[in-house]
Amino acid sequence: MSFLRKKRLFILLIGFIFFVALIGFSLRDRENLTNVEEFVNDTVGWAQGIIHAPINFITDIIGNIDDFKDTYNENRILKEKLAEYKGLIYEVQELKEENEDLRNTLDLKDDDNIRDYTPIQATVMSRSPERWIEQVTINKGSNDGVEANMAVRTPEGMIGKVLKASPNTSTVQLLTGFDQFNRISGKVSRGGKGKDKDIFGMIEGFDKESKSLVFRIIEESEKDLKEGELVISSGMGGVFPSGLVIGTVKEVVPDQYGLTKTALVEPAANMYDMNQVIVVDRSVQEDLKTDEETTEEEGE
Amino acid sequence: MKRLYLPLILFLLLVLEGVALELLPGNLLTSDLLIVPHWVLIFLVFIAIFYDKDQTYFSVLYALLFGLLIDIVYTDVLGVYMFSYALIIYAVHGFKKLLHGNIYVAMLLGVCGIALADVSIHLIYTVIGKTDMVWKAYLMHRMLPTIGSNLVFLLMLYPIVVKKLTTWGREQLTKSNTI
Repeated sequence: MSFLRKKRLFILLIGFIFFVALIGFSLRDRENLTNVEEFVNDTVGWAQGIIHAPINFITDIIGNIDDFKDTYNENRILKEKLAEYKGLIYEVQELKEENEDLRNTLDLKDDDNIRDYTPIQATVMSRSPERWIEQVTINKGSNDGVEANMAVRTPEGMIGKVLKASPNTSTVQLLTGFDQFNRISGKVSRGGKGKDKDIFGMIEGFDKESKSLVFRIIEESEKDLKEGELVISSGMGGVFPSGLVIGTVKEVVPDQYGLTKTALVEPAANMYDMNQVIVVDRSVQEDLKTDEETTEEEGE
Repeated sequence: MKRLYLPLILFLLLVLEGVALELLPGNLLTSDLLIVPHWVLIFLVFIAIFYDKDQTYFSVLYALLFGLLIDIVYTDVLGVYMFSYALIIYAVHGFKKLLHGNIYVAMLLGVCGIALADVSIHLIYTVIGKTDMVWKAYLMHRMLPTIGSNLVFLLMLYPIVVKKLTTWGREQLTKSNTI
């Protein structure tokens, strides 16, 4: 009997050591998933694809009924907006031409542009039931060109970044799950020079109490931020392209030492109601650049 | 073939957990309440009570396996669900020797199991720094809504699966060379 009890204790202790080792292994900064994880992710992702279709159908119907109620008001507002857009289109076209001319005179190549990216369309398959881990699974993986650390957006704005990519699925960490290890270089565009220049800063994580992103302003700027101003990614970090909408300023508060200012930013995209997302692939132009460099070297 | 039923049902529940949050109304998701589906755990509790005999440990085995699968698919920290689920199911397996298997016992063990598993997950996530929720807030915003919603699921699942599980358990006993 005592042997049996000892054996049980022995198993429990070995299990505990194994458990600590496993957690330690997964908390390490690892670049790639193990083969087992990739296989499991893809298998479950495949099953989710089957389950997802009928459930999506039902939620769509419920959503449609809700939409019908607002259609009349929305339609009126949209018509007004449409009239505005017509004017905007001409303006944008002129600006584009002007931009191109200026770029040509400056002798900049197209692939120097930090705005450019290739979009990869994907569908959200599932969301982690563990609410502390804010991540969703999408149905595109490394076979489709998705890689870790790519930005993910919806038409409204940025929603997160690719955490890990399996061959056919990948997990996306949402902005609401960002911490100080996942910073985004952002800016508030002011469109001027001198005193009116853009305000740069870093998105330093998500504050769960106020339900907003913490945007720390790096430099002391002359002009204060106002509520409702748009924060977009600046592209300076090298990971995300510039021009992705992150959110709007909700409140500006001094930070805990009173030296810099922190803006609370409400994410522009809805993190709880999304279906189609776009993975932002910046790597194409990087490849192009390296190719050119190598050919130049060969030429020499 | 019949031996495949249990893992298949568990796998289905695992997949369904991922879309469960989409079925909830949107304002519940944006509110402070954190409702976490523990459907796999509930079915494992049923297996422990109605399928397993005193000397078989299928439920613990499945708890280890599907806990690990949840860890891989839905969280990026391996071992948390695996360890919590296996430990809780082992305890449930021990308790069911003392109690007769009926709906009240299933409810009691189910609620205790969910509460303990969730506390253990919270504890581990606090230690490794994935969450920093105060215990009081955790109790009000996460534990009680989670237990409540999972209890509803348990009561819905009970009439569907229990008879089947008992018959499968009996068949397993007659062909005692299953493992």
